[in-house]
Amino acid sequence: MAFIEADGLTKTFTVRKKRQKGQLLREKTQIRALDALSFSIEKGELVGYIGPNGAGKSTTVKLLSGILTPDGGTARVGGRVPWQERRQHASHIGVVFGQRSQLWWDVPILDSFDLLREIYRVPEDRYKERLNALTEALQLGELLRTPLRLLSLGQRMRAELCGSLLHGPELLFLDEPTIGLDAVSKLALRDFLMQENRRNGTTVLLTTHDMEDISALCSRVMVLGHGKKLFDGALPDLLARYDTRRIITLRYAGEVPLPQLPAGCACEAEGGQYKITYAPDKLPTSQLIALLQSAGDIRELTAQPQNIDHLIAAMYREMDL
Amino acid sequence: MKAYLSVFRMRWKMELQYRGAVIGGIVCQMFFGLILVSLYRALYAGKPQALPIEAVASYVWLQQAFFRMQLSSDSELMDKIRTGSIAYDLCRPLDLYGYYYARILAQKLLGSLLRAGPMLLFAFLLPRGVGITAPVSLPALIAALLCLILGLLCTCALENITMAFTMRTLDSRGVQAMLNLLMVTFSGNILPLTLFPDSWQRIITLLPYAQILDAPIRLYTGQYALGEAPRVLLIQGIWTLALMGLGILLWRRHQKRLVVQGG
Repeated sequence: MAFIEADGLTKTFTVRKKRQKGQLLREKTQIRALDALSFSIEKGELVGYIGPNGAGKSTTVKLLSGILTPDGGTARVGGRVPWQERRQHASHIGVVFGQRSQLWWDVPILDSFDLLREIYRVPEDRYKERLNALTEALQLGELLRTPLRLLSLGQRMRAELCGSLLHGPELLFLDEPTIGLDAVSKLALRDFLMQENRRNGTTVLLTTHDMEDISALCSRVMVLGHGKKLFDGALPDLLARYDTRRIITLRYAGEVPLPQLPAGCACEAEGGQYKITYAPDKLPTSQLIALLQSAGDIRELTAQPQNIDHLIAAMYREMDL
Repeated sequence: MKAYLSVFRMRWKMELQYRGAVIGGIVCQMFFGLILVSLYRALYAGKPQALPIEAVASYVWLQQAFFRMQLSSDSELMDKIRTGSIAYDLCRPLDLYGYYYARILAQKLLGSLLRAGPMLLFAFLLPRGVGITAPVSLPALIAALLCLILGLLCTCALENITMAFTMRTLDSRGVQAMLNLLMVTFSGNILPLTLFPDSWQRIITLLPYAQILDAPIRLYTGQYALGEAPRVLLIQGIWTLALMGLGILLWRRHQKRLVVQGG
């Protein structure tokens, strides 16, 4: 049996809307956050979990960490049913909710960490070792004695992450962990997660909107939309399914008409600038450029890299999300 | 158990962060104490009551000194429940009731201790009939202290029930306003319970609110004879256990139906 095994998870929320004019009662609607979701994750996997806002990503994390109880379906994490054995389960997992805080607002963060040590019963020497490794990776050394309220958003996020990793969980749920981090911290965090995964075999489920995080870390991606699983596999496969086209923008020296392009290419002209969309698997880039060069003197040419965010947006549109 | 102790220590630390608030609270309570005592003195000047004025003054001062045992709530905890940060607390290998009980206990205990010292000192310096009088006897003082500890456990259990309601209704201000009204009325904070008609007192002193401060104060001033102490402590104990049981039950039930909003 896989480490995480979810089978037909269903969760419905009731949302009350503001009363409209002439209505006697507030309108209640049922929102199906998760609709018979099934998947399995092996131990040591790093899985990216994406989907548009409101797709049910956080709900999944909350179910698997034992915070919420589903309306239907079952799940087992390391052999435990999270919401039935919440306390037992809790000591094996680490959770980061990017939007919330687990540290105490008014006291130095080191005090909060000490409290977490006691709560998770981490032995003193192991705790010290862990804290050292984490403060170094997340560059927290200077901040340990500062009350949380005096930290900036990025510093706070780093401290939160440190707090969730102190007890060395075997499973890590990260719900948008890179919110507010600067480039340096983001890279440091990715490195750290990579190491954590390789060295200790920590299983990670990463929810994020930052596609860079996913492409840097995750060998596997799950896409969720309207509470249903839409894709489960490697990121390149996902991208290949949706968009393999590239774009070349060019400008000739002087008035040069564009040569006849092979079928499958699209072209937009705008004020002497051409924007050509083509599929590299059908028409190799070198061939296209040779063709364009034969028509006249090229002054400017840019090949746009594949923008992952655009692809994802196109994908969501295509999936009607 | 150690974990709950650490939570207690942490909340204690937090309480000590804002010393200005403590001083402000003390000044405010001293003011209230003086006003209330003057009021009762005026009442006694017009129509003396059966109960000596010294006992009333002592009652008022003890009520004010331990004010924070009754009317104070952990606003941070309520915000946690309201905004959904409670999600983090649910990811801990702890029992939620015990976790929050430890927090509430730390807040009420330290809140009262910090204020009670200076307040009682001040009240002892005031002239007889305005300030506080010494306890009737040393055994009475010990009984009153025991009774106070049980009262503290009782009030924390009561507060944790309010928290359970907050989980249900999200905004606890309505429930809290209602419960606070009951609290100030039946705990003897507005009007000493000793001044209520005798027939009322027979019922009121059995309510949980009377167990918090009224019972220990009566032992201190001698309105309850020492021989009555076991009976008083028994009632307190029963209420504390009952309220804890109810609280644990409510938390369990609400936890199952929990919805964490936002994010």
